[in-house]
Amino acid sequence: MQVRELTLEDLPALMELERELFSGEAWLESSMRSELENPNNFYVGLFDQGLVGYAGLSSVPSSFSADVQTIGVDPRQQGKGLGRKLMQLLLDRALAVGAEAVLLEVRSDNSVAIALYKSLGFEQIDLRKRYYQPSGTDALVMRAKIRQPIVLGIESTCDETGVGIVQGNRLLANALASSMDEHAKYGGVVPEVAARAHLESIGPVLDKALLEAGISIDRVDAIAVANGPGLAGALMVGIGAAKGLAVAHDIPIYAVNHLVGHVGADVLERGSVQLPTIALLVSGGHTSLLLVRDLLDDVELLGETIDDAAGEAFDKVARVLGLPYPGGPQIDRLAATGNPKAIRFPRGLTLPKDMEKHRYNFSFSGLKTAVARHVEKAQDEGVEISHPDVAASFREAVVDVLISKAVAACKAHGVNRLLLGGGVVANARLREYAHEVCAREGIELRIPRFSLCTDNGAMIASLGAQLIMNGRKPSTLHFSAESTLDVTEVQTP
Amino acid sequence: MLLAIDSSSGTSAAIFNGKAMLSHLVFEDPFGHAENIGQAIVQALSEAGISARDLTAVAVGRGPAPYTGLRVGMAAGIAFANSLKLEIHGVMVLDAIAHFATGSVVVTTDAKRGELFVAAYENGQRVSGPSVISPQDLLIPEGYSHITQGCDAQMVGQYAIAALARGVDLSDVSALYLRSADVTPSKGKRVSG
Repeated sequence: MQVRELTLEDLPALMELERELFSGEAWLESSMRSELENPNNFYVGLFDQGLVGYAGLSSVPSSFSADVQTIGVDPRQQGKGLGRKLMQLLLDRALAVGAEAVLLEVRSDNSVAIALYKSLGFEQIDLRKRYYQPSGTDALVMRAKIRQPIVLGIESTCDETGVGIVQGNRLLANALASSMDEHAKYGGVVPEVAARAHLESIGPVLDKALLEAGISIDRVDAIAVANGPGLAGALMVGIGAAKGLAVAHDIPIYAVNHLVGHVGADVLERGSVQLPTIALLVSGGHTSLLLVRDLLDDVELLGETIDDAAGEAFDKVARVLGLPYPGGPQIDRLAATGNPKAIRFPRGLTLPKDMEKHRYNFSFSGLKTAVARHVEKAQDEGVEISHPDVAASFREAVVDVLISKAVAACKAHGVNRLLLGGGVVANARLREYAHEVCAREGIELRIPRFSLCTDNGAMIASLGAQLIMNGRKPSTLHFSAESTLDVTEVQTP
Repeated sequence: MLLAIDSSSGTSAAIFNGKAMLSHLVFEDPFGHAENIGQAIVQALSEAGISARDLTAVAVGRGPAPYTGLRVGMAAGIAFANSLKLEIHGVMVLDAIAHFATGSVVVTTDAKRGELFVAAYENGQRVSGPSVISPQDLLIPEGYSHITQGCDAQMVGQYAIAALARGVDLSDVSALYLRSADVTPSKGKRVSG
């Protein structure tokens, strides 16, 4: 027997069985068609030669509940457990989409179905009089609760020690300690300083997260940890702590990809990541453009920076202008009163000669040098220049190239969604320009709240939860830190 | 019952019931700390035939040792103890190594970058160190023996049990680096000549 999701091509067979089963109360073909077309619905069929059973589940993302739309089994195949199999598929699906309860209606005279639902954990919660027309039969409303997994996630890829806790798609805690201040005097993240700070912070941040979630660690079902990409020494602190927790409580551990974690953060905002999507992740450590067709199975790296990360460029230019670290907020503030068109700084890798090899790659090193030359030249010549103009023009060059390439990727791949993530999303002009361009191009723009955009433990917990909800096996205890982990490796086995 | 963890050279875990060691698992690989830490603890528990819930305390080697590996065992020990609300003790690993010697000893371990971690002991009492020195500055005084072996969880555990019985304070569980994070802020340099 074959099991697969139903498509519009199955509509004729589906209607034939629907009419045979429900005759006068059968759905119209137009209704069934719109059911199949609705992206919030999941319709599954059992095939033995032809269609012998079908069932549908509806779940609006972020609603935390799902509804059984229909279920039917070929009369010649009844009594073989196919109804149970179909219901189990719907319950698996409900778990995967983050539903905490599944609701259904059933004819009050259908004792076989009621018994099946009860055996699967459904309880009657209401009665609807004369619900089925024209027969006037009553409907029982039944509900099954679904226990979504509680996952504690640890993030230590760079300078933030994050511990987040989620239950399914629900955010319970997002605790953070940052060593950013300690890096300020160096003008950038120093790996050994970051790693030392992680070790000092990990215990307190763990405690803080559990307090914030209001749960004891005994209720945590699994641990997730970002094992790359990132700074090796920093990663290993998070991995050590994660393994310590997993073995202390004898619970499974999931080693997950930090970059994919950034994409998955939107699950905590809207209950799902609308797919496919282009994702632009911009931080002090990364500048990556991804095409995500499936969060767990199909993430493709379209391009990334070939030298400095965008956030790093902000830090370096801030130093040129005599501003403290981190440079992003400083440049942003200074640029507010500057003219972004005052100086035409270069847009890295946008010339026709670069486009073949580097269509979706970024380069900010030349831009940083151009800004430094501009400032030094003025100093050498004793010319006074407007620092706000320099800051605004530099920022415009970064934002322009980031958003232009992201939008080009959307168009080239026929994907009209763009998701932003990473700390540079805090940049006011980046958000403004992204909104402007996406509105003009008809692209849906998603920017999770800032605490979910910067490095954080909640996004790691959430990706771990998604793996569990979709039936993925835990990682072994042997995984290591992978500082250059490929984005296609969502989970390290 | 005590779980001892050390990742100052290899990765190891040991279980003690009173003074009796029930198990000791050692992974020698000097670069495999992150990979091996979970397995070391799991196997130490299972060979001892106990579960994590049977433990009352954790002791971790807090260095001095090469940093990256050291932190793995410490992070695991801290998270393990915190989450089970167990006592946690920090053991200076040179103390643990010297604990097995008699008379006067100088203990050195590899500090990488051509340097040594060193401490000297007389009758079990530390008289100098820990510090980091270059090998040509190492002086073994008359009448002292020289120990160069690395630490492991057995030593950490046995030392912790003995030290606690003597009332030694092992409450410091911060890592002993003995070196700064090796960075000096750069002044920034011109790009144009």
